Amino acid sequence: MSAPAPPAPAAPPPPKKDTLTIVFDGKPIEVPPGINLIEAAKLAGIEIPHFCFHPRLSVVGQCRMCLVEIEGIPKIQAACTTPIKDGLAVKTTTQKVRESRAANMEFLLINHPLDCPICDQAGECKLQDNAFGYGEQRSRYDERKRQYAGYDRTAIGPHVVADMTRCIQCTRCIRFCQEIAGTGELTFLDRGGRTLVWTHDGKPLANDWSACAADVCPVGALTTKEFRFRRRVWDLKKTPSVCPGCNIGCNISIEDRDSVVYRFLPRLNPAVNDYWLCDYGRFLSESLNAREISKATVREGSDVRDAIVPAAVERIASEIRSTIETDGPSAIFFLGSAHLSNEENFLLRKIADHIGCGNRDVVVDRSRVRRMKSKTEWIEGDHAGANYAGARDMGLSPGPGGHGLTDVLEGRWIPQIVVVADASFAAAADDAEKVGRLRGARFLAVAARTANSLTRAADVVLPAASLAQKEGSFTNVQGRVQWFQRAFLPPPPARAHWELLLLLGVALGWGDRNWTPAAVRTQIREEVEGYDEVTEQELAGGGLMKKGLFVSTGAV
Amino acid sequence: MKSEPVLLARVGRERSQAIDTYLADGGYETLRKVLTGGWTPEAVTEEVKKSGLRGRGGAGFPTGVKWGFVPKDTKGKPVYLLCNADESEPGTFKDRLLMEEDPHQMLEGQILSAFALRCHTSYVYIRGEFFHGARVLQRAIDEAYEKGFLGENILGSGFSHDVTVHRGAGAYICGEETGLIESLEGKRGQPRVKPPFPAVVGVFGAPTIVNNVETLCCVTHVLKRGADWFAKIGRNEKNSGPKLYCLSGHVNRPGVYEAPMGLQMKELLFGDDYGRGMKDGRKVKAVIPGGASAAMLTAGEIEDCPLDFDGLAAKKSMLGSAAIIVMNEDTCIVDAATNLAKFFSHESCGQCTPCREGTPWLHRVLSRIEAGEGRAEDVELLEKISNQMGNGITLCVFADAAIAPVLSSIGKFRDEYRYHVENKRCLVGPRAAVEAVTA
Repeated sequence: MSAPAPPAPAAPPPPKKDTLTIVFDGKPIEVPPGINLIEAAKLAGIEIPHFCFHPRLSVVGQCRMCLVEIEGIPKIQAACTTPIKDGLAVKTTTQKVRESRAANMEFLLINHPLDCPICDQAGECKLQDNAFGYGEQRSRYDERKRQYAGYDRTAIGPHVVADMTRCIQCTRCIRFCQEIAGTGELTFLDRGGRTLVWTHDGKPLANDWSACAADVCPVGALTTKEFRFRRRVWDLKKTPSVCPGCNIGCNISIEDRDSVVYRFLPRLNPAVNDYWLCDYGRFLSESLNAREISKATVREGSDVRDAIVPAAVERIASEIRSTIETDGPSAIFFLGSAHLSNEENFLLRKIADHIGCGNRDVVVDRSRVRRMKSKTEWIEGDHAGANYAGARDMGLSPGPGGHGLTDVLEGRWIPQIVVVADASFAAAADDAEKVGRLRGARFLAVAARTANSLTRAADVVLPAASLAQKEGSFTNVQGRVQWFQRAFLPPPPARAHWELLLLLGVALGWGDRNWTPAAVRTQIREEVEGYDEVTEQELAGGGLMKKGLFVSTGAV
Repeated sequence: MKSEPVLLARVGRERSQAIDTYLADGGYETLRKVLTGGWTPEAVTEEVKKSGLRGRGGAGFPTGVKWGFVPKDTKGKPVYLLCNADESEPGTFKDRLLMEEDPHQMLEGQILSAFALRCHTSYVYIRGEFFHGARVLQRAIDEAYEKGFLGENILGSGFSHDVTVHRGAGAYICGEETGLIESLEGKRGQPRVKPPFPAVVGVFGAPTIVNNVETLCCVTHVLKRGADWFAKIGRNEKNSGPKLYCLSGHVNRPGVYEAPMGLQMKELLFGDDYGRGMKDGRKVKAVIPGGASAAMLTAGEIEDCPLDFDGLAAKKSMLGSAAIIVMNEDTCIVDAATNLAKFFSHESCGQCTPCREGTPWLHRVLSRIEAGEGRAEDVELLEKISNQMGNGITLCVFADAAIAPVLSSIGKFRDEYRYHVENKRCLVGPRAAVEAVTA
């Protein structure tokens, strides 16, 4: 064998590009590397119809809907499985592409029941959308449609109902359970035209995120028991919010109609919950509709009388004023909540500051540990309250020489007045012994939406708003400050906690009745460490990390 | 004149499965020659390339070239060799014969191939129904271990190799390379997205070569008698070597026949050494030359039809697994197509939409025509469904295989389909006769 040829003179390396150029229908666009042709087309404003592709699930290329033509390749190609390369020229509007899409839609619909009028997915169904967008008006199929006796309208877990007659075998749900939840409950059974998705050995689909399987289902094959048949989805209004379930702070949409919350859906935030939402958080939606405290009440001796809210607030203020005169401000205890917003907790702390009281605290409830997968890592929620970190940041810890909640609960200190800013969610609120300790005070004031031992024991009860009925921000376990918007107004006379707190502040000679949560946030930016960069724009854009407070456990 | 048998030379010999008879016939001498005679793996690959050996499983891809697709640097991953003994193509029964009658011939080829691939573990993925074959093969493997042809440091050469027999669970699609790999991994047998191809990412994420049983048997003979000898057998250098033909259907003597690649179809059907003509002297109506997924040929097309890869490709069909299924003039072509469509509808894995939905649709329309409920537009509909399933728009070639018998039978026997639709009965065959009597 001859000696190896001398190396050719090295050509100057081409300038390294951070982006790739893809030409869609003659229109070049720069895209970041590592994405898929479907995603790249989206950046170019071009829709490539698909079913099985999901940005966070492995690419299987089996629905065959995303077929496109690529210059230089004679055969039509699936966009999802085509390796992305610089200079790729993709055609999405040719005759061949249109025909392939129409053919695929025809295949997908031949065995589909076409029961949109009685299907809950209608309105948010990829099959419906793609059939309208890319299918033909008529089918040539004139045979019996496939049926799945025993596999229709059947609950396959605590939340998910399966109807295999509607399934298009895209395997998104199977891949979700395998790749995201890591539990793998779902599988294909049988093969060919008889293929169906079911659970292994009939075991339930019962992972902590099982309803996400219904989310990723592009058709009405998997739906949730809780939402099924309750509302047509096009009737619902979506409001961006944050899940109240724990301090991971998953981004959600609250969906309501006529001031009734029908469901939570995950709202994409790759840094927090990505496309997902846990079942616990998701199905808290119904709890937002509870309303047991619908008016202010004031206890007069053994009588409990209805009152108007300003009078009830004035009653609290006058009790506070007289206690300051007789025992000084240190006889008063302010209890904030990890379920209240930063703005509300801030107002509570400012009221305490105004009267010179250092006795303030927030309930610590680590009863539930939850996990959520962001785009890059698992996040662990360690507190039952969505805004535990924010409540602490706003200063709801005992001041110098002040007393905290444990002092009260363990009987080391009995305050004269206890103000509980939110009684609805406090875990201690139905514990007779703990309530007894709080009730040890001469005067107990609470704001609440639902009744419990604490509200029944209180001297003044103020009707407060639900998460859907107010605006504010939560700070999650990562230190990310996130905005939730108001979906609808609380039913009068109930008011948002921040409004009630402002009323109290004004009655005590502090604050301005015209402040809004945004105005309070301006003060938070000025006064609270780490919050100075949390601007309104940042909040609207998906939440900002507080400076210097975020410690990542993995890649960001 | 019939040529000297190569692959089937030992079939019929007493106790041909036993290692002592194999050794007596010069068995494992080639392995000894290669392992201890200073051959390098590259030299073995080169020899196989030179022989022109093309894969006997169906696609006819040059074996040596396929081996060359394994990356030079496997990044620390092992290379696996899988023997595809799934033999699931209807009408094919040659690998079964090779395994049941002469398992050592295949094993020797498998070890030689493994040596060429620097592969230390190989699997035989055998069709689940080949219960006897699996037992024979396992016995042969045990004997080979005993004699030191398998295991650690084979024949003192420093090369070690293990072979494991894995029985399939009864799916046609597991004969497809990546479906086989999935099944071997213990998963649902369904083809993978390609690329990556198995030679780069195959079983257990490692580079993998999948070869058919007959291919591996041929490797033994390529190395035993040289690439030049092998290349000279057959019609030309692109269609070389001995070939097993599985003849079935309406002939006098169906069976597995060995002949040099490129045997004339007429010779196979009518030759005294082969099929010995049509049963009861009937005429040939159609022939499926390469298993269920090959396009049918008419009686006219089998004139001057060399049975090899290129010869059949020229007739827009394929050699496939060389399963020649002969149908006589009394065969209802719609019935035959319905039967094949039923098979493909039953075996589609269900992944890709066009195949999952299209194969049962084809079967239903065909069944309707066959049952006398055809409509005027049905034949055209069948063609349209087929065309929107095929042309490589699915993950694997199953859909293309499924439409081949439908499209070819319509294309070549359109009048018979039309008769069926119009007269609500078969043109020929038993159902035609019954109808005629009662009418």
